[in-house]
Amino acid sequence: MSAVAELPDDVARVSLDLPLRANLSALDNIALIPLYQRHYGAADSARLAHAMLEQLGHAAIALLRDSDMTPAQRFIAKLARALILKRPRLVIDRPGAMLYDVPYPAFIRQLAAQAEMTGSWEIFDFRWNQALYQE
Amino acid sequence: MNKLHFKVGLFAAASLLLAAIFIVYLLHARGFFEKTFHLQLAAASADGVAPGVPVVFSGIEIGRVTTLGLNENGGIIIHTEFLGRNAKWLKENSTFTLDKPIVGGAKIRVDSPDLGAPALPHNATMLLLTSDISKEIPALVERVKAILANVEYLTRKDGDINVTLANVKTVTGRMTGEYGILEGVLGSPEKARALTDSLDKTRALITKLDGLAAKADQWLFAEKGVAAQTRESLAQIRLMLNDAQSSLKKADALMTNAVEISANVKDGTQDLAQLRTEIDDAVRKANDLINEINKKWPFAREPEVKLP
Amino acid sequence: MNFLAASIESLGAKVVGWFTVGYGMFAFLAQAGLLLLEPATWNRATFDVVVKQIYFTAVQILHVFLGYALVISWLFITIILSTARDFGLTEFASEMTIRVLVLELLPFLTALFVALRSGSAINTEVALMRVNNELDALAHCKVPPMQFEFLPRLIGGVVSVVTLAGLAGLLALLMGYLAIYGMNLAGFEAYTRTIAKIFDFRIMAGLIAKCALFGLAVTVIPVTAGLETPKKLFMVPVSVLRGMMRVFFAIVAIEVVSLALKYI
Repeated sequence: MSAVAELPDDVARVSLDLPLRANLSALDNIALIPLYQRHYGAADSARLAHAMLEQLGHAAIALLRDSDMTPAQRFIAKLARALILKRPRLVIDRPGAMLYDVPYPAFIRQLAAQAEMTGSWEIFDFRWNQALYQE
Repeated sequence: MNKLHFKVGLFAAASLLLAAIFIVYLLHARGFFEKTFHLQLAAASADGVAPGVPVVFSGIEIGRVTTLGLNENGGIIIHTEFLGRNAKWLKENSTFTLDKPIVGGAKIRVDSPDLGAPALPHNATMLLLTSDISKEIPALVERVKAILANVEYLTRKDGDINVTLANVKTVTGRMTGEYGILEGVLGSPEKARALTDSLDKTRALITKLDGLAAKADQWLFAEKGVAAQTRESLAQIRLMLNDAQSSLKKADALMTNAVEISANVKDGTQDLAQLRTEIDDAVRKANDLINEINKKWPFAREPEVKLP
Repeated sequence: MNFLAASIESLGAKVVGWFTVGYGMFAFLAQAGLLLLEPATWNRATFDVVVKQIYFTAVQILHVFLGYALVISWLFITIILSTARDFGLTEFASEMTIRVLVLELLPFLTALFVALRSGSAINTEVALMRVNNELDALAHCKVPPMQFEFLPRLIGGVVSVVTLAGLAGLLALLMGYLAIYGMNLAGFEAYTRTIAKIFDFRIMAGLIAKCALFGLAVTVIPVTAGLETPKKLFMVPVSVLRGMMRVFFAIVAIEVVSLALKYI
């Protein structure tokens, strides 16, 4: 799926190829972005990250590290990290590879409803999985 | 409370505290909080002395050489530095001796025979003696005596020079050439030059002796320049130097005469050559001795003479 | 002829390899140095990571390290003292002890200690970050890893080696005093004189610079070695092996150069 990797810079991606930083908690992984990209203070960044997780309905995973999370939790952490980038497009690359323990089209739809974000989410998936999205 | 931060904070505080204590201790040890006491030492040669050479008192280091320099008269001035707390060991009657042991580095030894004496003022200038000169003075005196005897022997009434000159007087003939009559006397320009060389050397030696005697004078009359016992020996040498000088002057005069005498060439040549070697020998020995004396004793110069 | 050409080629490849490694290291160091000059680097977050690094590199092992420094110092002081007594050179014993232990041996051992413990960990972590694509993920998020991953490790390494070597040195000074003069203040003045004689400004500056260089070596080299790992999991041990070899050579080289500067 090199097509996804070659997307321009203004696309936020959620992908198997872009893991979380292994020795940081989910919250810290998300807080990295306001902290080092927008030079927010540590407390502000943590607050923003926490708000993002709460919005997605999974504040409980804040202190978990990558290895302690279920695939769904890991996906949410990655999604929160992508959302906090505040880029105009968000691409979810092969969700089936990351969300193998939940019926993922419904799961993503539910998350999208909670996020109340402006802009659209694009899902890149294999053609043979198209049937899963027909509801 | 963040336990990790607390531990790191404790670690940092303890380390900084220890570092600060150590730095203050080090500054104290190096005398940063004390006035440093400076002292100049005048020496004849800086041989073996370099910045960092310790100044020791009773075997304990109390100061160091900081810089070496020359004064206007070409003498060596050694600047030394002492911690304020060590300045009390430096008295007006202290002697400073350069020790160069066979094993280990050079050091300057301070001997203060009377600790009740008044303290040295700041920035004073003292003389630096070469190690154990007082022990070497008798040997020097012996050598001066020997040379003196030699010169005396050469110039005694019925001595070689006179006999030789008597012979020379019989030499006749007027000569030409670069070396004038002497060339005739000695038979060749080379030999004539050899004799005039001896003459030159003798004269140079006389000048040198003059200088040395003057120095010895300055030394003798400089207040507290040298220890009393050293002064006696020096006076002795002074006398002997005068003797040697007058003898050499005599020899010089005789030889000058010889140049002026017109006499038979062949008879005199042998004797003159022998005389020349003898004079040369005496001159060389005296020269060596003077060099040695010069090396061992610092030049006495005006600033050093004005000791408090 | 072929053999000669081949050996020259392999030599050339090695030299080029060394240059590449050296260039990578110094480029990395320059980048870190430039980042240090930027005011944006000096924020609370970087500080927190630095604190964390110092905790893991220095505080966590402090008791073990001090125990080890104590044993080593005691051993060396005893050996030097008894040898000095046998040869009648007791007056040089304290100076010898301080020079050997505080100026040379303890900083060297500290650097080795930190290299073995933290250097290898850093190398592994960076190699894994690279192999797991974590660095790519950070690049995607436009978060430069230098500021929150590498620079704090560098600072932590330098601070830790300098502090640990300093603490070990102070401990050795104390041990030396106790071993030579015993539990009293009689020798304090003489010991102070010896210390004053040894620790002039040049020596102190040289000691701190040496420890700082040790600290840099045990962190920069593992980081760069980790960064050049190919993206294959089985290359991680190879990367750590290479990194640690380089660290060892660098530590020895720094020690040799410092000795040469001091005594030649």
